[in-house]
Amino acid sequence: MKANNNIQQKIENTFKATEAIKQVPVSPFFKDKTMQHLFPQKEEEKVVWSWFSPKLQLATLVCLVLLNILAFTKWKETKYDENVNLFAETYGLTTSSSTSLLN
Amino acid sequence: MEEQDFINDLKAGKQFAYAKLIDLFQQKVFATCISFVPNKEDAEDIAQDVFLEVFKSIHKFKGNSKLSTWIYRIATNKSLEFIRKKSTKKRFAFLQSLTGNDFEIDKTNYFTEINHPGIVLEQKETSETLFLAINQLPEAQRIVFTLNKIDDKSYKEISEITNKSISSIESLLFRAKKNLQITLEHFYKNEK
Repeated sequence: MKANNNIQQKIENTFKATEAIKQVPVSPFFKDKTMQHLFPQKEEEKVVWSWFSPKLQLATLVCLVLLNILAFTKWKETKYDENVNLFAETYGLTTSSSTSLLN
Repeated sequence: MEEQDFINDLKAGKQFAYAKLIDLFQQKVFATCISFVPNKEDAEDIAQDVFLEVFKSIHKFKGNSKLSTWIYRIATNKSLEFIRKKSTKKRFAFLQSLTGNDFEIDKTNYFTEINHPGIVLEQKETSETLFLAINQLPEAQRIVFTLNKIDDKSYKEISEITNKSISSIESLLFRAKKNLQITLEHFYKNEK
């Protein structure tokens, strides 16, 4: 009987625990954190990169690739001509070298 | 009319409207979340999730209920979803506990890790037992008991949040108390 009373007392105390729970204030940074999640760096991105649309990005990429190809072929051609001239001069195969003073 | 303008601003995704919404509801939403999930960090994460959900789903809000009621409903659902996820992770431990007494409180579950700053140290153990017992209740009873006894919401508010009549709220609360009495009785008997 005494044990039952004791158990009942414990149960009542457990129910009363709900009344003892105090209000917990939300963290002062909660609003900022949530706003950052809702609007992630939208403003900064808008100001800096909004003009650089995907179409423009693609056009820039194509231009860069074409420029690179052009530069590479030009460089190759010049290099080739220079090498041939140098070779011809070294072995006396150029037209200017064939003109002899003896003729 | 004023609330309708505010809702329209929310639907338009205006930043100042969401700043105002958080100012108005952050404390209440957090209080509801921590009532279900007695851990400050987790409750804050859930509360944040609630506002993200409001942002995503505001276009679905038809105005059949008050905006506050709709937000508390999301808070309740998000909290229950969180508990469900946590419980699934501990399924193995739970399956082990099934071999024991039917009324035995599952001490392996999430509520053994209470971190609630509003619970005083002397009440910590008692509160842990209570939270464990509450989470043995059927979902409908658990929602009503938590919202009324821990979150301190009125029958009217609970009836709006749960879409149930006040008489069924009273009946659910009565059954919840009865079931808690049985669970706690078995727990304290087996404790010795």
